[in-house]
Amino acid sequence: MPLMKNTLLAFAGVSLLVLAGCATKPPAKEQTIIGQVPADPPKNPVISAETLKSASQSIAVTDIYFKKEGKNLVFIEETRNKTNNNITSTITPRTIEVDADKANASAVTGGPNSSQFPVKFTNLADPKSTAPGAAPIVTPVDTQASSNSSDSETQSSKKSGYEAKMEYGELRYLANPIRGLLIKSGYKVVQAKATVAMPNQGDEYFDIVKRIKAGDFGDADYILYGVLAEVSNTDNVSDIPGTKSTSHQMTLEVTVDFNIIDTKTSQIVASFVASGEGKDVQIDGRDTGYKPSSAKLMKLASLDLAEDVRKNLASQNFITNNPGSAGYERNLKRRVDDDASTLKVYK
Amino acid sequence: MIMKTYTKTLQLSAFTLSVALLAACSGPQVRYGDAKAVETVNANYGSTDLQMIAEAMTRSLLQSKAISGSKDAPIVTLADVKNKTSEYIDTRVITDKIRTQLMKSGQVRFAVSVSEMQNQTEELKRQNQSGLYKNSTIAKTGNMQGAQYRIEGSIASIVKNTKDVKDVYYVFNLNLINNESGLLEWADEKEIRKTATR
Repeated sequence: MPLMKNTLLAFAGVSLLVLAGCATKPPAKEQTIIGQVPADPPKNPVISAETLKSASQSIAVTDIYFKKEGKNLVFIEETRNKTNNNITSTITPRTIEVDADKANASAVTGGPNSSQFPVKFTNLADPKSTAPGAAPIVTPVDTQASSNSSDSETQSSKKSGYEAKMEYGELRYLANPIRGLLIKSGYKVVQAKATVAMPNQGDEYFDIVKRIKAGDFGDADYILYGVLAEVSNTDNVSDIPGTKSTSHQMTLEVTVDFNIIDTKTSQIVASFVASGEGKDVQIDGRDTGYKPSSAKLMKLASLDLAEDVRKNLASQNFITNNPGSAGYERNLKRRVDDDASTLKVYK
Repeated sequence: MIMKTYTKTLQLSAFTLSVALLAACSGPQVRYGDAKAVETVNANYGSTDLQMIAEAMTRSLLQSKAISGSKDAPIVTLADVKNKTSEYIDTRVITDKIRTQLMKSGQVRFAVSVSEMQNQTEELKRQNQSGLYKNSTIAKTGNMQGAQYRIEGSIASIVKNTKDVKDVYYVFNLNLINNESGLLEWADEKEIRKTATR
């Protein structure tokens, strides 16, 4: 009987211990910060959480490259006078059209409203453009006429054709909001050297690896570079259903092809196309002759472009979905570490 | 004696005249009735029909998957309800009544409909283009929210008459259409039969 009692007591004791064990919660390993959204851990195999924590990654963001291909219509009249043994030649460019539609529509092509862009369209009416070596390749399409007299001979020829022109350059103003979002995400943003287009510049203008080797980006770990795919300005008027009013919409849209390249391995770690739109809407704007502000449209387009870049970088796990949280902490940590007053000397 | 009778007659006449005058000046009698009381004055479309349709449609719509299964209150707008009857029916009153009841439920938000756009446009124009308002307080152009769904439908009737009987059959049809996909997310109908006999 006492054995039964002891066994019962033992079982009861064991049961209590098991219950107590189950009820005990393990201590929380991580402390959550109140008032901040926890950031998603980076999943990109190249940029792991460990590498981001151990060292502040630096990135250089170039201005947006562009390549403008245009066709210039050239119409040249050449008059050649031969007097005895003396030959004189006069070349007169008669008609020149500089891709008028595109030039007026696009903000980067040197149209009338684009003086703020560092782009200059070559005017072939300039005498230099018709100088030997600079003359366009022309295709004879017209008649050649000649007239003879007793002491002089005059020949005139008319030629017309197209000359393909390439412009290379960098669009400023668009990349700063992107730099801002990368700073918020914890990256150290490095200033990149401007790229100047050379005379007779070719597509080697976009050779980013060559520029990395030339040291144009300092000690940046990554380069974010974008090439402008298209800029378009639209100006549309449409009726507003159910009203007597119209909606006058003026839009500036930019589409940019982006790549992020690892400077050490030349590996592309993110690649996408992003677009930004700046829109100004005026009700009955056509009736009032309203003119939109180019500066406002450009600002809106650049901010919208940065937002699209953020979405693409997040979807490719280059930045977290919550810039300003964990990234901000990393950035702050880096600044504190860089402060001279916090330097520690180890002997 | 004759004098006394004459005086009495005169008094009675004066009293009768006063009562008649008072009755003439009092006008028609006015009384308030129950707005929800059943109205059976004739077989034409009436207030009870309006209330029955609105109540039935609201109840059914709130139970639909598109509304009840939505995480956030979906944004809906009112489109046309076509009157295919031979009577004059202000169908806007029906949709407005449905809208009011849906709004009260809190499960649906409504964007301004086409018929309300004139006022909306004028207000936006006044705030954005007059230059009179503080920039931070302006309701900016281009931020109106588009409706996910629109409500549209029709009301039709079949009327039959004999010498002594008038039979009216109404069918009210309402649809909820997804504006983006064009899919019909919900549809219901309410039938009403009214018979008037002499």
